[in-house]
This record gives sequence, C-alpha cells and structure tokens, in this order.
Amino acid sequence: MKQLVKFEYPPELVPAFRQAKRLEWLTIAYLISTAALMYLTMGQSQAMKTAWFEDLLSLTPAVSFHIATRVILRSPNEDFPYGYHRAVSIAYLCSSVALFAVGGFLLIDSATTLLKAEHPTIGTVVIAGHQIWLGYLMIAALLWGTFPALYLGKKKLPLAKQLHEKNLYADAEMNKADWMTAAAAILGILGIGMGWWWADAAAAIFIAFDIVRDGYTNLRQAVFDLMNQAPKTVDDQQPDPLLDQVRRTLAAQPWVKNFSFRLREEGHIYLGEGFVVPTEDNEQLAQQLEDTARQIERLDWRIHEFILTPVRELSEQESA
Amino acid sequence: MLLPIGNYHPTPTSLPQSVVRRPPRSHPFSAWRALRELLWVALLPLLGCDGFPKDPEHTLDQVRNGTLVVGYSENPPWVVKTTGTPTGPEAELVEAFARTLSARVQWRNDTEQNLFEALERRQVHVVVAGLTDQNPWKEKVAFTRPYMEVGKEKHVLASIQGENAFIVALERFLHQQEAALPPSVQP
Repeated sequence: MKQLVKFEYPPELVPAFRQAKRLEWLTIAYLISTAALMYLTMGQSQAMKTAWFEDLLSLTPAVSFHIATRVILRSPNEDFPYGYHRAVSIAYLCSSVALFAVGGFLLIDSATTLLKAEHPTIGTVVIAGHQIWLGYLMIAALLWGTFPALYLGKKKLPLAKQLHEKNLYADAEMNKADWMTAAAAILGILGIGMGWWWADAAAAIFIAFDIVRDGYTNLRQAVFDLMNQAPKTVDDQQPDPLLDQVRRTLAAQPWVKNFSFRLREEGHIYLGEGFVVPTEDNEQLAQQLEDTARQIERLDWRIHEFILTPVRELSEQESA
Repeated sequence: MLLPIGNYHPTPTSLPQSVVRRPPRSHPFSAWRALRELLWVALLPLLGCDGFPKDPEHTLDQVRNGTLVVGYSENPPWVVKTTGTPTGPEAELVEAFARTLSARVQWRNDTEQNLFEALERRQVHVVVAGLTDQNPWKEKVAFTRPYMEVGKEKHVLASIQGENAFIVALERFLHQQEAALPPSVQP
C-alpha cells in the first residue's frame, strides 16, 4: 500500500517545536497551581467558581497538544496510510467542545444564581496566626492566575504561527485573554466587599459568556478543519498565500496547457492534488509530472504531499 | 480551489511573501494599564480595612448597640435549655459576642429546621445548636469557620448568608475566644 512519507519538522523548526512543547508543559504546571489556589480560596463566590472552571478547561488545549504531538509523528502504516495528522484536528475539536459545553452550563448556572438573588458569603481564614478576609486571598489567587498567563500566551503566539498549530494558537489566545476573566472575578469579589451581592453573579455571567464565545470560535474552526476547508492562515483566517505560490508554479510549467488543483489541511500539514492537461506529443510526461510535484512540495514544509494527475481536458469552470 | 484562469493577474507585490504574517497589533499596554489600575482598586480597601467587607442588608449596623436575635435548639452540652436563658458554651459565646457589639441578646427557641428557615428569611441573626460543618444546611446559610474541633467534628455557628461584615466580625470574635475556650468540652 502506498503510504504518506513520514512527517518530520524541517530542521529550522525543530527548536520552535521543542520550545512549544516546553511552554505547554510549563502551562500545564502553572494552570494546575492556579486551579489549586482558586479551589482553596473559592468559598461561595460564583465568579470564583466560574473562573476556576475556566482555568481547568484551559488545560485541555495544552494537554491535547501534548497528546497530539506524540501521535502525529508516528509513521504512516498499513492501517493508517495517511498518517496520524488528523489527531491534531480531533484534539482541537475535543477541547473546543469542552469549552463550549461547560461555558453554556456556567452561563445558566450563574444566571440562576443571580435570579435567585443568592447572597455569597465570604468569611475569614487564619493563616500563620493572622486572620484575614478570604476575599483578599481570592484576589491574590486571581492575580497569580493573570500575569504568568499573559506571559505564556505572548510567548506561544509566534510559535503557533511558525508551526502552523491551530490548537496551540487557540491556547495562546486563551491565555492572553485570561486577564479579563481575572479582572472580572476581582471586580466581583470587590463588589461583594462593597455589599453588592449581585456583583459576584454578574461577574460570573461575564466570564461564562467569554468561555462560550471562545468555545464557539474554536468549535467552528475545528469543524471546518475536519471538513477539509481550504488552507487558511492560523492567525487571521485568510486564504493561505501558499495557494498562490502553487498556482504560479503550475502556470510557469511550459509543458502544462491547462491546470487545476486543490489543497486541504490535514492537521498542520497540507495534502493536495493537481490536474494538468499536458501539451501534445509529450514524451517525458511521467518525469515532468514527478518533477513538478516535487517542486510544489518544496515550496513550503507544510505541503507534505502533492499529487499530479494528467487529464485530457478540463472544463471551463474547472481550470485554475 | 478551482478558480478561472482569467482571473489570475500576478502583481509584483504578491510575489514571494512570507506565510507567517505580521500578527495583528495587540494592545499589551492597555491590558497592563487596566491591570495596574485594578491592582490599585484591589489594594485600596486593604489600606482602610475598617468597613470592608460590607453587609448587603446592614446586619452588623443593626445589631451594634441594638439587639442580637439568636435562635437556639437544645443540643447538650453545647446548648442547654433552662427555664431562663439557655446555657452551655455556645450560649455563652454568643452572649460574649453581643457584649462586644454593645447589643442585648434576644433568645428564640425552635427546632433546627425552623431556625435555619428563619435565618434564610433574615429573622434571626445567629443560630446555635451544636452544629458541625458537615451539616447539609451549609449551602443555604452561612457557617462560620470552626471555633473548636472535637475529634473530627468541627463546630460552627450559623449566620445569615452573604452578610459578610457581620460574619467577619463574628469570626474575628470566635478566633479571639478559641484560646479561652475549655478544651475539655466533650459532646
């Protein structure tokens, strides 16, 4: 059976890939520490509870990144001739479904808390003989959940673009947006301190809404990926300029009379097919097909396999 | 990707361009500034610790120099019913707490269930009934932090949910009393 060539990152990207893995391990450790701090200080605050859930959920992209990176580098085999690249898309789908569903649950939960006019109680704790209001500890935990996350997000964004990793990109964006969650929760707790019982639930609704929005954006993208959407750039979802390069390469071949092609994303690599109408009395067709296909594959590391098929003619609307 | 060939006009500007695009300008500075301001808002109340947190329903203000309404349900040795005012360590604790607020205690005897319902309606301020933190009513009313541990049982008082100034005042009082309580009290 013809299998895909085993995928390896080009040498210049290996350091970026290693750093991304390191940062994702750091992210996991950091998020667990935040979640633990938040859990210990949560009390009865709905905003804290929501922020805690968001924190736990933001573990999923990092964890799925690690699982996926282990799986995708496996060699294609008899059972999986196309390799394991889709694992990235599946991991991405899972994390976005989790985000979306839990966000929806929290939105309802927070809205009910607000409607029932539940007054959140925040008492005191004694730490090393000092008795302090738990609200201050909550704020401290939330601040710990903010600044390192901002830093991690900023570090991961450029790597995600380099490696063409949508999962990593979504993760970095979420880390970067985390400060809004923390700010909302802090305002909610300060609101409780001011005697505004509704502030907490209102902050929780804001946070839950943010989770749902994140979930929706990512879910949409994950579904598009699995449906073989044409390649888009990671950051702003524009058609990938690589498409233009492929078109130009095909158009520049003297032996090609007419052509058409398509590319699809398979995880973070591209697979594609081209259809060419060769000029008549072509004696080295097989050689030319192969050379041009290799030339296109060399355009960028992401084009992992490009297959050229000779056809007798292409209809008007098919030719590119 | 089946585009009509006639539409393709390569322009010099669209020639080799890096696929990694410039990131859309993010605004780290506004985020940082917002956080810094937030920090200040968070720290200001710390400086003036008095009157923070506040009660949504002003329980502490009403009790101070007024009446502390205490619901009790007999549970010896913690609360013991007598012909007059109840006795037992929890009854004494509440009396002492009322003194710190210059308030007089108004006792109200009822079943635990009825007292918790009264707490939910804010008709009593505190409930003493030898409660532990495992009581399932902890979701509906505010339990103080344990003022005493006997074996694995953590003993608490119950108060109105969300009246944080009052609860903080009560917990501060309980914390100061912890050392003074007889360690030999056994249920």
